[in-house]
Amino acid sequence: MDQINYVGEHLWAGKLGHFIVLATFISSILSAVSYYFFVKKEEKGWLILGRSAFITHSVAVFSVIGLIFFIMIKKYYEYQYVWTHVSDELPMQYIFAAFWEGQEGSFLLWMFWNAILGLIILSRRNQWESSVLAIFAVVQAVLSSMILGVYVGWDTFSIKLGSSPFQLLRDTMDAPIFGQADYLELIKGNGLNPLLQNYWMTIHPPTLFLGFSSTLVPFAFALAGLWVKDHQNWLKPAFPWALFSAGILGIGILMGGAWAYEALSFGGYWAWDPVENMSLVPWLILIAGIHTHLITQSTGQSLKSTYFFYLLSFALVVYSTFLTRSGILGETSVHAFTEMGLEAQLLFFLGIVFVIPFLLLLLRYKTIPTPEKEEALSSKEFWIFMGSLVLFFSSVLIAGSTSLPVFNKIRQIFEPTYLGSVITDPIPHYNKYQIWIALFVIILSSAAQYLRFREINWAKNRNKFLINTGIHLLISLVLFYPSYQWLQLTAWQYNLLLFASLYGVVANLAVLVSYFQTKTKWVSSVISHTGFGLMIIGILSSGLNQKIISNNPFIMDGLIEGASDESLRKNILIFKDAPMRMQQYEVNYQSDSLDNYTRSYTLKFVEHNKDNQRIDSFNLKPTVIYDKSFTKIAASNPATHRYWDRDIFTHIASLPQVEMDMELRKQKEDSLKYNALNISLNKAFVHADTQYIEDQDTQVVRKYNILITNVDFAPSHPEYKPQKGDLAIGIDMKMVRDDDDKVIYAKPVIVLRENLLYSYPVQINEWSTRIRLPERVFEDLYTFEDDLTYKAFRLGVNESMVQNENEIIFEGYVRNPVTPDYTPEEGDLAVGANLMVKSKSGKSYRVMPVFLIRKGEPLNVKAEIPALGIHLRFPLLDPKTEKAEISYAFAPKKNNPIAIDFSTEALRSDYIVLEAIEFPGINLFWGGSSLMMLGLLLGMVIKLTNKIKD
Amino acid sequence: MKRMYILAMVLIGVSIFLLFNAAEDLSTYATFSEAINNESTVKIAGNLSKDKKMDYNPEKDPNYFSFFIKDSKGIEKKVILFAAKPQDFELSEQIVVTGQMKGEVFYASDLLMKCPSKYKDEEIYIKSEKRS
Repeated sequence: MDQINYVGEHLWAGKLGHFIVLATFISSILSAVSYYFFVKKEEKGWLILGRSAFITHSVAVFSVIGLIFFIMIKKYYEYQYVWTHVSDELPMQYIFAAFWEGQEGSFLLWMFWNAILGLIILSRRNQWESSVLAIFAVVQAVLSSMILGVYVGWDTFSIKLGSSPFQLLRDTMDAPIFGQADYLELIKGNGLNPLLQNYWMTIHPPTLFLGFSSTLVPFAFALAGLWVKDHQNWLKPAFPWALFSAGILGIGILMGGAWAYEALSFGGYWAWDPVENMSLVPWLILIAGIHTHLITQSTGQSLKSTYFFYLLSFALVVYSTFLTRSGILGETSVHAFTEMGLEAQLLFFLGIVFVIPFLLLLLRYKTIPTPEKEEALSSKEFWIFMGSLVLFFSSVLIAGSTSLPVFNKIRQIFEPTYLGSVITDPIPHYNKYQIWIALFVIILSSAAQYLRFREINWAKNRNKFLINTGIHLLISLVLFYPSYQWLQLTAWQYNLLLFASLYGVVANLAVLVSYFQTKTKWVSSVISHTGFGLMIIGILSSGLNQKIISNNPFIMDGLIEGASDESLRKNILIFKDAPMRMQQYEVNYQSDSLDNYTRSYTLKFVEHNKDNQRIDSFNLKPTVIYDKSFTKIAASNPATHRYWDRDIFTHIASLPQVEMDMELRKQKEDSLKYNALNISLNKAFVHADTQYIEDQDTQVVRKYNILITNVDFAPSHPEYKPQKGDLAIGIDMKMVRDDDDKVIYAKPVIVLRENLLYSYPVQINEWSTRIRLPERVFEDLYTFEDDLTYKAFRLGVNESMVQNENEIIFEGYVRNPVTPDYTPEEGDLAVGANLMVKSKSGKSYRVMPVFLIRKGEPLNVKAEIPALGIHLRFPLLDPKTEKAEISYAFAPKKNNPIAIDFSTEALRSDYIVLEAIEFPGINLFWGGSSLMMLGLLLGMVIKLTNKIKD
Repeated sequence: MKRMYILAMVLIGVSIFLLFNAAEDLSTYATFSEAINNESTVKIAGNLSKDKKMDYNPEKDPNYFSFFIKDSKGIEKKVILFAAKPQDFELSEQIVVTGQMKGEVFYASDLLMKCPSKYKDEEIYIKSEKRS
């Protein structure tokens, strides 16, 4: 192939980019090796080298990110990454979202946070810097390799390492356009998926990735502890990090839920999707680790578990990465990335983080100190440990079910014909186990608050414990009754969980109240555990009690075979301006408007109480986003009205076809068959229309009684904006169809503007009818200037004449006149003739033809009385006599039948298909879960401030 | 510490038991001929028959969508889903329906589509103003 000299490419950026990516990889390896040798040999040189390499690495990571942002902002479409994620229309506020939409960008985001966290640890310069950062550097090296994009090996043994964000578009795709040297002039970017164009895409990924990346810190501390055989000293510095990580990761997961709920049309905040599950599992393990860590620090017990959980947490983050990025999840997840050829590398990463740490844990197992004395059944540590085990148990169940596609793959290796199994109904499958886990966790986290570490005198504490617990159970029982009334849960399991949650909230709040007297240091744990109880109540109410309100009570059951299950029927059809009752709400689709690619619908909800009295009203604006060609809906964004005790969630499930596809709409309009009718003014006309009824395979004749009441030469139409010089005709029509009493008024309009015709048809959606005026209407009704014969008369002021039984009185001159048809220009010498016309029927009309001299040329502007058929001009002013020459023409109103195009095959376009769900108590979920994360972060702050005091 | 080990063992045992017990929640992808002889809910993976009529007319019923799919054995059946027609339905390469066969019709309670990936089906957008 000939070498083409492409025009306009910025190849320097790619070359620089490849170089820096290579630098991140090499510097991380150098850093890992240097830190390793420093740990081994404790020679200062290695430390300095390790540090400088890590700093170099971090700077290189920041530079790669900066460079990608640069080429994205500059829209260098010659780079595949830019072309895929950016487009000319992409608003700048989504540039971050576009950056981490792709795999390479999200790897870089991960590396970015690792680098930041690593630099913070580096800046502390304590004994753990070298061992922890050696582990960091290894992880960074593996992550860097994912974006290397280099081939290693020889000939047939060469493998591609990583996928570079600096690949050229023309190297990744084969398209005829690359045969042109100036192809860059011709292409525009693909752009960010419209579904992802919202602020959640800007804030959710960085938070979640900070969460993922921060699990590396407790992992690295634990691994470093095993490595250097120091099982004590890492515990203290690692603890605030673990709390930080759990708090941030939790917030990240919650943001994902909030995004799904608020901006996507899933109709919920949690769907047990594999990707959601696999971000939850590391979090659960981390929480288990934090609890055993607490035991270790208080009693010295459970250190092995702490090691195990911290190592497992990060390993599971890598496992989660493997699942979502290797393509193995296939169709089981909405989140999964497509395959990128990184499977082998990801598997290698997975191997490293599972094999090395746990092998080391086994090797050092004997050296890990364990107290001789077993914990007492009455001690706090025993029950906290139980809680951690339950969390671990929960994780095993979730991860096990989620890994089903992996088990399938493995089995298929040995048995290629194996089809693979799937979870038939995932949500109930997960719920039925997790409900019991939640119950255990709540009871443990509440009762254990009243136990003591290293209990040696249980006899003394027992009474206090029993009294407290008794009081809490009693209060919970009192609270249970109204809660039961509110939620009306039928299954006893759910009621038991509800009761336990109430107990959890009460017991933990009681500790919080006593905090203000005793200043217990457990305040953060109490906040988290209260939050957990509230969250479970929120899940019970919003999850189990969510109510689909968009089902139509009037739908005739049994009309359609098999349509018995009402719960499945989630959508309702709502016509514009036809209020529809759904449960206690009356919904009216009032209007819609289009802004760029987004169409928003205004829905007015009026809520009624049981006595059918109006109690509240609000507007909701769900939107749909069109794709670039306006031929399909790219995304449907819900709208939610929030009350303190419930949410009303709506989203547009479907639209008329002609509203979704503008291409189709145009086709339909162009191919619409019209009946040409000729209807005389004020004469009753009947149009018989034969219509085909599709589902009954018959025809029916419908009669339309049409009366034209008026011909309007200054018509109005919702879409018509009159301009000067327009010739416009509107026909006022009054119609009744034989099967209905309803009178329909319509006014189609046609306009002639500068030799172009503009038609403003009328759509009568109730009748699927469209009416337009054909061009012929002008000839039928309009008198053109060429057809007129003017007669000239000279009139003095206050003189009059009679023409065709109309009296015309010249009432005098008007200097600097302004009339509808005349706009003064600078330099005009203009004078108007003020004329009063009295018709034979006694009606008066005042008109003003204008005579003017513009740039030395005499001109005149005509005046017209369409109702009388009179045309008047003022072509000359006699300066001697001061008389005006008035030209008069008469054209009687044409009385031709009026041509009307009438079609009854127009598709209705004035409805939406709506899904509306009420989520009671959802704020308990958000509030409770936020409290959990707040508690974790507060715990971190308390630990950090205590450390400073020490 | 002994007590802990016992507890941990018990929990791990229970979790393994539960996971195996969860087999009833699992199903393999069935074919239509298997579904006909089966009362229970099954999952069927198939390809959309693009030549057969797809019916979604919200004016008549916004919760009724019917179409035809061909399963892995090449058997074609009508599927009814009581929901709105999903966006991009025509573009789907593979469709997974969950539901039951009643007579000659498969009643789906859930539908999953596998759409061609954004990257596979790439086409270069040409700037419209430059083309003319």
